[in-house]
Amino acid sequence: MNQHQPTIIRDRTPVSDAVLTLHDVKVHYPVKEGLLQSVTGHVRAVDGVDLTIGRGQTLGLVGESGCGKTTLGRVIAGLVEPTGGDLWVNLTAEQQRDVDRLRAVEPASMTAADRAAWQSLQTGHRLGSMSRENQRAYRRNCQVVFQDSFASLNPRQLVRDIVGRPLRVHQGLSGDRLNAKVGELLDMVGLGSQHMYRYPHQFSGGQRQRISIARALALNPEFVVLDEPTSALDVSVQAQILNLLVDLQGELGLTYLFITHDLGVVQHLSTTIAVMYLGQIAEYGPTDLVFNDPLHPYTRILRDSNPSLDGENDATEWELTGSVPNPISPPHGCRLHPRCPVARAECGWSVDDVLTDIEDRAPLLFETISRVERQDDFTADVTFDTEVSARAFADRLQASRAHDAVDRPLEIADATVSVSFREVPDATLQQLREGRLTSCTRTQNLGALPPIHETRR
Amino acid sequence: MTALASPRISLPTDPNHRTAAGVRWERRLQLAREVLRNPLTVFGLVIIGFFLLMAAAAPLLTEQNQPDAYQAPRDWSNIDVPPGTDGHVLGTDSTGGDVLYGIIWGSRLSLQLSFTVVFTTLVIGTIVGSIAAMRGGRVDNVLMRIVDIFLAIPELIFALAIAAVLGPSFENIILALASVFWVKYARIVRGEIIRVKQSEYVAAARVVGDSTWNIYRKDVLPNSLTPLMVQATLDMGNVVLIGATLSYLGLAQAGLTEWGAMVSAGQSGLLAGEWWVSTFAGLAIVLWALAFNLVGDGLRDVLDPKMEGR
Ligand SMILES: Nc1ncnc2c1ncn2[C@@H]1O[C@H](COP(=O)(O)OP(=O)(O)OP(=O)(O)O)[C@@H](O)[C@H]1O
Ligand code: SF4
Ligand SMILES: [Mg+2]
Repeated sequence: MNQHQPTIIRDRTPVSDAVLTLHDVKVHYPVKEGLLQSVTGHVRAVDGVDLTIGRGQTLGLVGESGCGKTTLGRVIAGLVEPTGGDLWVNLTAEQQRDVDRLRAVEPASMTAADRAAWQSLQTGHRLGSMSRENQRAYRRNCQVVFQDSFASLNPRQLVRDIVGRPLRVHQGLSGDRLNAKVGELLDMVGLGSQHMYRYPHQFSGGQRQRISIARALALNPEFVVLDEPTSALDVSVQAQILNLLVDLQGELGLTYLFITHDLGVVQHLSTTIAVMYLGQIAEYGPTDLVFNDPLHPYTRILRDSNPSLDGENDATEWELTGSVPNPISPPHGCRLHPRCPVARAECGWSVDDVLTDIEDRAPLLFETISRVERQDDFTADVTFDTEVSARAFADRLQASRAHDAVDRPLEIADATVSVSFREVPDATLQQLREGRLTSCTRTQNLGALPPIHETRR
Repeated sequence: MTALASPRISLPTDPNHRTAAGVRWERRLQLAREVLRNPLTVFGLVIIGFFLLMAAAAPLLTEQNQPDAYQAPRDWSNIDVPPGTDGHVLGTDSTGGDVLYGIIWGSRLSLQLSFTVVFTTLVIGTIVGSIAAMRGGRVDNVLMRIVDIFLAIPELIFALAIAAVLGPSFENIILALASVFWVKYARIVRGEIIRVKQSEYVAAARVVGDSTWNIYRKDVLPNSLTPLMVQATLDMGNVVLIGATLSYLGLAQAGLTEWGAMVSAGQSGLLAGEWWVSTFAGLAIVLWALAFNLVGDGLRDVLDPKMEGR
């Protein structure tokens, strides 16, 4: 049985020097409904993300559409205020260890030395509690290249004013000195200073993305968030822009957060990869290791569904079933379990899972539900129109994987079925090996990915 | 090459010699050229130009009446004479007022009316709409409720009520129209700003670290103005239409050379076959409104798809 306790300490071997360390970062957007616009729930766009971005690295952030990549990138760029969690700036390996240790300690039970250390970490490195000056310095140091180069350039500004804007704001440049610097930047991104007095719409997509890159690099940042910088471009142009990014990284020693859903690009570009699923990180580790030996079923399925990748390809029978669940009420336990081919009893089944399952796959039966009385998310009485329907439902449930997770046998009384699942804590990202983290609880318990031949019945 | 070779136009080929201001003007010229490609727009512009000339040259075209130029001179010996009568090309009304004189000096009033109303309401509407959209929250709620109240009452009725309370005079018509028209602009500006605020170039400006005021000035406002400009052009015509309606209903001073007032004054003679007073004044109103509507539509066609950057 799954015995692991929910714990705030998420063991990880610190990356030597990190530009940014995220702890349990959350962005919940309120969902408003009705005339009075009352809040009826939250879209958990980002829901407890732990991530370390090492200096000089390219961290590839991948995942399906809607899993929260852009939102996370916007939090990092300071465009979206996180609704929970902490962002730490410029922690050394030792400081990362300290933060990991201290955030698990109750403030009341800290030793005086710990308290002092915690205090200085907070004021020196945590966004939100560090000095305004340092915060501004971080903002200057972290720039963004957006996906849509058309939407991210003001159509009424000249290239000189777009690229020169950061220089005006932070260095007070104007006139000839501004022109000279903008010219240099345009040369650096391979566009040429003769384009200074033109409007964005006079350029091709690739050229516009070069303008975006020039703007992002104007202040000599160390860290650039690239949100799908090439996905709107033609394939041939994509390669040019990617090469430019690689060259610039080498020249300027940049750190990249590279957001994409193109695994091929990530494989070539990034040193480290973070796989995101439904607002959380599913797997994190060095790119080649993650691709060759994934530690999360989701990573392996993503890899195998992408034949263009280099290296091993197991061509397993593994496939995701169903569709991405609603981020307003994500599944309990491991978020992947309703779709995971190797899900087991310990993966976190709840009443919603069985209801969603029959809604999707036995809609007629679903229609005959007359009432659902829940004690909590794991225990409920489901009442049907007829006893026959209730029996059919019970049979279905008994034949399914979810049935392994009930903590007492189904009770059927007249047309009512009482189900009760074992409560399972939410899966957390844990370090399995040095530098390799996974949120798959089965992998965590087995010490390796579940066997390949294992599939859902 | 011989001296007879065709003259070559030489343009500065090094783009670095160009200036930002020069490039901006080039762009404006290009837009103007596109606007002028539509014959209906050109037609509208010609009519507007005609009216502008007429207004500017009023003292040259007619002998200015003393002491009040905006009262037609009374020719008591030629009452209700038809067009073509000696000295009265477009005839006279029942008090001997010259219709042509009324139309010419009336164009000045129309110009004054539409410019004053549209300019002030544009400014007020932009300020209110900008505050609502940039501040958001409670400020936005309060301002937009006020706007909703204004919008719930038809423009004409509202202006009529205000003008009636203030008393009959041309200045009060201006005031009445101004207090009604700003609402529309506030609403348009607010909607546009909210849209532009969500754009990625505003996000990019925030990442760069620019101030809210600069973002408003450089990104938000310039990209919100297109529909406003179109609406303002259309309203240059609409204002005169409604203003004329108000003075037709008797809310301007008696005897004023205002087109609406002239239509009203000529009405009594219509049954007796004295058609010219109402008809020529009415024609002037219709032409004015039509011209600005044609230009407004032309502007919309050119500006909308291009300027939004997609
Ligand atoms: N401002 C917002 N208000 C409410 N929900 C939002 C908002 N922004 C994003 N979301 C929701 O948050 C979730 C994550 O969105 P996000 O754009 O971060 O995904 P993504 O991984 O970048 O997807 P894609 O690959 O399509 O770009 C989605 O379900 C989206 O609908
Ligand atoms: S814990 Fe692992 S095996 Fe279980 S559902 Fe999640 S990914 Fe699949
Ligand atoms: Mg995205």
